[in-house]
Amino acid sequence: MSNQTLLKMEEIEKNFNGCPVLKKVNFEVESGEVHALMGENGAGKSTLIKILTGIYPKDGGRIIFDGEEVHINNRSDAIKLGIGVIYQELSLIPTLTVVQNIMLGKEKEKFGFVQSKKMREEVIELINKYNFGIKPDAIVETLTIAQRQTVEILKALSEKSKLIIMDEPTASLSSKESEALFKIIEQLKEQGVSIIYISHRLEEVYRLSDRLTVLRDGVREALLNREEINPSDVIRLMIGKDLSESTASNNLRVANTPVKLKVVNLEKKGVFKNISFELHEGEILGFAGLVGAGRTEVMRCIYGADPIDSGTVTLDGKELPRSIGKNIELGFGLVPEDRRNQGFTPLLSIEKNVALTNYDTLAVGGFVKEQKEKTLGNKMVDALGIRPNNSQIPVGNLSGGNQQKAVLAKWLSRDLKVLIIDEPTAGIDVGAKDEIYKIIESIAKNGASVIMVSSDLQELLRVSQRIIVMRKGEIFTEFSSGKITQEDILMAESGILTKEAENNEQ
Amino acid sequence: MNSKKIDFKKILSKSQKLWILLIVMLILTILQPGVFLTAANMKSILLSISIYGIMVCGTIFPILLGGIDLSVGAVAAAAGAFAVVQIVKSNYSTSGVIIGVLGGLLLGVFVGLIHGIIVSKFDVPAFLITLASQNIVYGVAQLLTKNNVIPCMEPASFAFLGGGRLFGIPFSIIIMLTIAIISYVLLNKTVLGRNVYAVGGNAEACRLSGVKSKKIIILSYITSGFTAAMAGIVLASMNRQAIAKAAQGYDNYVLTALVVGGASLMGGEGSIIGAIWGAFLVGVISNGLRLIGVTSDYHGIVKCIVIVAAVAFDAHIRHKNSGLQKSNFFFKKGKKLAKEGGSL
Repeated sequence: MSNQTLLKMEEIEKNFNGCPVLKKVNFEVESGEVHALMGENGAGKSTLIKILTGIYPKDGGRIIFDGEEVHINNRSDAIKLGIGVIYQELSLIPTLTVVQNIMLGKEKEKFGFVQSKKMREEVIELINKYNFGIKPDAIVETLTIAQRQTVEILKALSEKSKLIIMDEPTASLSSKESEALFKIIEQLKEQGVSIIYISHRLEEVYRLSDRLTVLRDGVREALLNREEINPSDVIRLMIGKDLSESTASNNLRVANTPVKLKVVNLEKKGVFKNISFELHEGEILGFAGLVGAGRTEVMRCIYGADPIDSGTVTLDGKELPRSIGKNIELGFGLVPEDRRNQGFTPLLSIEKNVALTNYDTLAVGGFVKEQKEKTLGNKMVDALGIRPNNSQIPVGNLSGGNQQKAVLAKWLSRDLKVLIIDEPTAGIDVGAKDEIYKIIESIAKNGASVIMVSSDLQELLRVSQRIIVMRKGEIFTEFSSGKITQEDILMAESGILTKEAENNEQ
Repeated sequence: MNSKKIDFKKILSKSQKLWILLIVMLILTILQPGVFLTAANMKSILLSISIYGIMVCGTIFPILLGGIDLSVGAVAAAAGAFAVVQIVKSNYSTSGVIIGVLGGLLLGVFVGLIHGIIVSKFDVPAFLITLASQNIVYGVAQLLTKNNVIPCMEPASFAFLGGGRLFGIPFSIIIMLTIAIISYVLLNKTVLGRNVYAVGGNAEACRLSGVKSKKIIILSYITSGFTAAMAGIVLASMNRQAIAKAAQGYDNYVLTALVVGGASLMGGEGSIIGAIWGAFLVGVISNGLRLIGVTSDYHGIVKCIVIVAAVAFDAHIRHKNSGLQKSNFFFKKGKKLAKEGGSL
C-alpha cells in the first residue's frame, strides 16, 4: 500500500432542516486502500457519500482529491474526477449488452456512426486487464446479480475511476458470489484503485479493509488501522457504550399466553429455509437481521403474498389458506417495508385508504355506506393522532410518520389477530417514532400478536418481548430471556454469539 | 397543508375546463353569429355528444386503472352491425330488435371480458391487446356487414333508440344521462368504484390489502366494452344504417375527451363529470368546424390540434397554479432524503 493520500474530506458539515447530520467530519482515503465506512443507520454515512458524489451540496468543509481542492456540484463532476459508485440497486439497462452498458453515454463515434468494434475492443481490453470473467456480448438481464455488479465495476473503471464506492455490495449475493467479489476487490487494490467499502457485515469489513472509519451521530468516532480492528470494539464504537447500556432490554420473556401463530419449516428455495417459530397471543416478536437476511421475504410468505416451496403456517391450530384475502378475513394484517409503493394509495384520502380493508363491514350489497365510512375515517384519525386532523386529506400529502399511521389505521380498524409490521419507523422522525411505538404496544395490549421486522436495534430492544435474529435466510438465534444489548444483536446478525447470547440460547 | 386551500385549488382547476369550453364557444359564436348559438344547433351538438358521452362513461374505468381501451370504436361498429343484421334478418320484427340489441351488447361484454382476462391474468399491456382487438373487431364488423352499408329504417322501436324523443328530449341523450348516472353511482358509491380508484392509484398496496384486483380489472374492461356496444347500437339507430366504418376514429375522441376531462393516463385520477365535459368540448369543436365550413378531410387534423392545445393549456395552468404540487415535490424529496439517509 502506498501512503499517498487520494481523498481528504475536511471538517465536512451538513444540515437538514436545521438538524446537523454531519458535524465537522474528517475522512480520508489513501491510494490503493480499502477503507471501510461503518456506522448505524442514520450515523451519516450515506450523507457523507452523497456529498462526495455530488448528490448533496456540503454546508461546510473542504474536499481535496488528488492533491487539489475540488468542488463537486453534481454527479458528472464526481465521474470526471474519477469517483465511481456501485449502488445497492444496480443502475444498468437490462436489455443492452455488457459493452453497450459500459460505454453508455460515452459511445465512440465516427461521422455520426457508432463504432461498435472499437468499443468492444476497448471493453475486452478492460476485462482482460482486471481478469474479470465477463462475456462482453452478454445481455445484462441474463447475468446473475454478482455478474451485473462486476459490470458496474467495469463501468466505473472505464470512467478511469481512482476511487470506487461500494454500498452494501454483498447484500444480495450468495457467499460464493461474495468470494468472487472479494477477489475483484483485491485485484482493484493491486491496480492502485481505492475503495470505500460500506457494509453492515462485520466479518467482511475485518477481512477486506486496511483502515476503518466509524461514524456515530454525524461525528467521526474513530479511525482504526487494520491491526486495531476488533469486532466488539467496532460495535461498541458504532453504538456508543453508554447508549448501549441504557437501551439494553431487561425484560425479554416468553409470553405465557397461548400460541397464536405457528410456523413450521417454512422454505422458499434460494431465499430462506428451516424457518420455524411460534407467536403467542398479545406478544410483540422482533425480527432482527442484516439487509438481505430474508426477513421481509419470510413475512410476505406467511401473509400469503408470495408462494412458498414447503412448510406450514397455522393460526390457532388451523392451517392458513395461501390467500391474502382469506388471511385478512381471519385477522391478519401487513404493514409493508416499502410504504410508498406497497402501503397506501397516495391520491386517495385517509378515509378511503382506511376503508379499503373494511368494505366487508362498510358496504351493503356492494354499495358503500358513506356515513359509516366517514365515521370510521374520523375515528381512526383521532385514535392514532394523525396530523392534520382531517380524514379527507390524500395520504400522499402526509408526512412519513402520519403516512405510517394511516397504513396502521387500515388494520387497526379491523378485528386484528396478527399484525406483521416491516420496518415500522423507516424514514420517520424521532417524535413520530415514539407515537408509532406506543401504537404497536397498544395493539399487543389489546390482545393481538405483533411481528416487528426492524433494522433499528434500539427499536427492537425497546418494543419487542422476544427477538429472533435471521442470518442468510435462516434463523440464527433467538433472544427470549434475560438482558441483552445492541451489541449482542449486532454480533448475532454477523454470525457471532456473545456470552449473553449463548446463555440465552440454552 | 391547509385542507381549505386544497379544495380551493381543486375548484380552480375544475373551472379551468369550463373556461376553455366557454372560450371555444364564444369564438364560435362570434365567428358564426346567429348560427352557432341557436337551440337547433345546441340540440345537434348534444345529439352527436350522446355517442361519445355513452362511451366515455365506460371507458373511464380502464383509464382509471392506468389501462386503456383502444377498441371502443371497433366494438361500437360491430355491435351496431350485429343489431342491424339481426333486425334485417328477422324481417324488421320487434323480436329481431330485442335479439339484435341484446346480442350487440353481449358482443361488447364479451370483447371486454377477453381484454380483462388477458390484461389481468397474462399481464399483457392493455395498449397492445386493445389495439390488436381494434383490428380484429373491426374485421368482425366488416364480415357482419359484408363491407356494405346496410340500411335499417324500421321498425319504429329500433329507430326510437337514436332518433326518438321522450318528453321532447332526444332518447339518445336520455340513454347517455342514464349511463352517466349509473357510472357515477358505480364509481362513487360502490365498493367496485372505490376499488377501481384504489387499484389505479397503487395496485400492489391494494393486493396487500386484500383487494381482488383481477376481478376489478376484468369488470372494468367489461364496462368499457358494454358502453362501446351501447353507443354503437344507438349510433346505428341514429344513422338508420350499419357500416363497418361507423365509429372510425372514436377511440381517439373518447380518449381525448377523457384526458381533457381531467383523467390521468397513469390511473387513479378522473371523474364522470369531467369526462362528460371532455365529450362536450370534443362535440363543440366538431360542430364548430362544420359550421365554419371546414371540409371533413381537415376535421381530424384540426380537432386533434385543438385538443392537444387544450390539454397542454390545461396542464400548463395546473402546473402554474400548483403551489401545492411544488411544495409537495420538495416535501417528497425531503422525505426521500431522510429515508435514504437512514438506509446506509
